[in-house]
Amino acid sequence: MSIHIDAPIEQPAVGAGPAPRRGRLSGGSAIELFGIPILVVVGFLLYVWWRQTATLDSIEASSLDWSEVRLEVWQHLKLTVVASLVVVAIAVPLGVLLTRPRLRFLAPAVVGVANAGQAAPSIGLIVLLFMWLSGWSGFWVAILALALYGILPVLRNTITGLQGVDPTLVEAGRGLGYSGGSVLLRVELPLALPVIMAGIRTSLVLVVGTAALATFINAGGMGGMITAGITLYRYPVMVAGAVLIALLALLVEWVGRVLELLVRPKGI
Amino acid sequence: MTTMESTDKQQHTVSGAEITLDGVSKIYRGQQAPAVDNISLTVPAGEIVMFVGPSGCGKTTTLKMINRLIEPTSGTISIGGENIRAKKVDELRRTIGYVIQGGSLFPHMSVAKNISIVPKLLGWNTSRVKDRVDELLDLVGLDAAKYRDRYPRELSGGQQQRVGVARGLAADPPVILMDEPFGAVDPITRQRLQDELLSIQRELHKTIVCVTHDIDEAIKLGDRVLILQEGAHVAQYDTPEVVLSSPANDFAQDFVGAGSSLKRLSLARIADLELKTPTTAKVGDSTAQVRSRAEANGDGSVIVLDDRNRPLGWPWLRQLTGEKIVQPSGDLINLDSRATLNDALDTMLVSGHGGAVVTGDRDAYLGVIDFKTVTDFIEEMQREAETETKAAPAAGSDEHPASRISIAPTDEELDGGREG
Amino acid sequence: MWDFVVDRREQLLINAWNHAYLVILAVLFATVIAVVLAVVVTRLPKVEPVANAVSAAGLTIPSFALIGLLLPVTGLGDVTALVAVTFYAVLPILRNAIVGLQGVEPGLVESARGMGMSEPMTLLRIKLPLAWPVILSGIRVSLQMSMGVAAIAAYVLGPGLGAWIFQGLTQVGGKNAVNYALSATIGIVLLALILDLALLLVGRLTTSKGVRV
Repeated sequence: MSIHIDAPIEQPAVGAGPAPRRGRLSGGSAIELFGIPILVVVGFLLYVWWRQTATLDSIEASSLDWSEVRLEVWQHLKLTVVASLVVVAIAVPLGVLLTRPRLRFLAPAVVGVANAGQAAPSIGLIVLLFMWLSGWSGFWVAILALALYGILPVLRNTITGLQGVDPTLVEAGRGLGYSGGSVLLRVELPLALPVIMAGIRTSLVLVVGTAALATFINAGGMGGMITAGITLYRYPVMVAGAVLIALLALLVEWVGRVLELLVRPKGI
Repeated sequence: MTTMESTDKQQHTVSGAEITLDGVSKIYRGQQAPAVDNISLTVPAGEIVMFVGPSGCGKTTTLKMINRLIEPTSGTISIGGENIRAKKVDELRRTIGYVIQGGSLFPHMSVAKNISIVPKLLGWNTSRVKDRVDELLDLVGLDAAKYRDRYPRELSGGQQQRVGVARGLAADPPVILMDEPFGAVDPITRQRLQDELLSIQRELHKTIVCVTHDIDEAIKLGDRVLILQEGAHVAQYDTPEVVLSSPANDFAQDFVGAGSSLKRLSLARIADLELKTPTTAKVGDSTAQVRSRAEANGDGSVIVLDDRNRPLGWPWLRQLTGEKIVQPSGDLINLDSRATLNDALDTMLVSGHGGAVVTGDRDAYLGVIDFKTVTDFIEEMQREAETETKAAPAAGSDEHPASRISIAPTDEELDGGREG
Repeated sequence: MWDFVVDRREQLLINAWNHAYLVILAVLFATVIAVVLAVVVTRLPKVEPVANAVSAAGLTIPSFALIGLLLPVTGLGDVTALVAVTFYAVLPILRNAIVGLQGVEPGLVESARGMGMSEPMTLLRIKLPLAWPVILSGIRVSLQMSMGVAAIAAYVLGPGLGAWIFQGLTQVGGKNAVNYALSATIGIVLLALILDLALLLVGRLTTSKGVRV
């Protein structure tokens, strides 16, 4: 599940080809912006209709009981949100540090390590952390694993975004008498924000998908419906779980997209 | 100069084919006004016809209808009397050379591969293709051994354009279409490429249709110039001399621009002037003998030629050291005999000799043109122009010829263009 | 750990081989599918935003969810694993193939057509070779991503190293649990590196010197 969303576009180091034309992608973006919520709502309504009309045996009915589903959705969202907050709290300051003149030289090494870490399979990482941190609750192990997974895109984009700020603007800021900190807050971060937000969206999608694996270490989440369906040989449960996770993931991605648009400074 | 051209044509068999357009129109989908509106035209076999006009006048559309990259809405086009729709489109195109701006070489193919595309499509065998590639590289003034395996990005802009021309000529097509072929290079390189095209044409006599937006280029290269206005309406279709001396209407007059009598400077070719013949030497000649010959002729410098009679350098006598004449270091900019006097002035100004070496077919040495010959000729033309002006006042006649002289920026062409 | 690996080296190698085999096969299929789709998409400009939207949405769907959706159709085992891995592998390649094909300069295509190359010939000899470096970088991303998806597919009895991760999970607390999970995880990372290097090499061999970066 180590899905590199937008990887060809946000990983310029990998690509050898011409830069994709942003303008061309905007047509797709419009479809995604309006199409995805419609898709999610329609999908969810279909699920509700099916749930109300299908004849389910007792095992299926209990697995897909509304309170059970609500709990799993709630757990899944909690995992996603907490892990994403941890990611932002770590990756953005780290990215800022790694673009300061004194620490700049460390940036390639750190990004390199993070890149290599991304090659580790998510399921392996979660299972291993669970075994090593036997004293921790499943929830926090899952948070740690998800956060480790989600850091790279935000870190990379924070560094890229800050490096992309026109140095003359920074100089102009200093010339106006801003301190280094004020220049960072008032000039650099606002200008880098779109790029950072794109990283956060990528990370959100990674985290919401990987959270489906939390069920393997008893940390809850919607993966439970799929594993229950498989172990109980109940296809309806499994498919329902899969559809609901997919819908949630699409929704979370959409929220990320909307956030990205909302925080984009006017004039960029 | 017309006499010279006609003798030229008698000496060579014309390999081009006549192109006729009959009532050809093109209306793009969703547009009201036709891009090309009922154009009829004959391009004589073996001539260069320049399509010139402002952007959007339909000249490129007209060109591309000849190789069916654009299909006409109505009308017929024939080449050599045969309707172009009679053949399969890909087969038709393989018999028409196509050269576009910048050469448009395929970056993932070597120079040789680029040139051999059409011959291979036509099923030529490997050794014939290989020989043809070398022959063409030689024809466009590139050393085959040095350049055939290079990739386009390893060439300068001018070299890429030369390969583009070679590619267009590859399968010896009777007709060649060119779309702004020299638009992407600097002025000095452009001038040399134009000269080379003229020299190649003197040898091959293809039918060449070339689109340009530059009236000076049109006048220099064209046997005929077609001035187009909006909708590809023909404003004038005639020889450069007539286009300059009597524009058919206001549009043609405006397009040709002010000072048309002076523009005729660019009609005068070096071939019209008398060339000087200073002392020459071959690589390998005895230095002492060459020196004494030069002193006997009263020359301070000699022109060194290679074994195929191509000029290599123009050293001063004091630069001749050693027992035998060796290939001079530093490069020489030659002028083709079809180059215009404008070109000659440009080239002389960057030469240290107050003159320029003139070459003919395949860069063979013809002689030297000096500054005085050119200025005398200009003065004579100026006098003619003035008498003409008195008869019928034309704008811009007060412009001094010197204002036409400009030094164009140089590039790697100066030292890299003519190696080998 | 070392003794554990040495004792089970045969099984480990078989699993690694199967993992690599699954991923390579899936990426090969995906490359063909993605390039064909990209060729279609770039010829129909109206479809392109839809294709981009679908590929973005596709990447959003968690692989575990997709596996759940596939199971009723393809059952437990290799087929589900192959289909799931291929599905994800298509998306980055598709995206890059579209960008790559669109990046081919129109003048070059016109030149090719003007010289009398047929349309399929232009595609095979001009467009695809020029887009290849971009497509290749998409394949590299796909390959890395597929390693992880293949590991998850082991839960539904797909082949490869993922099986040991789940075996470790079922034996939690047992003496070899960590060994199973750790050797499989490290094995996948190593395999990812090896295949990436191999792909770089293939890329070098299949990319013309004239367009190599």
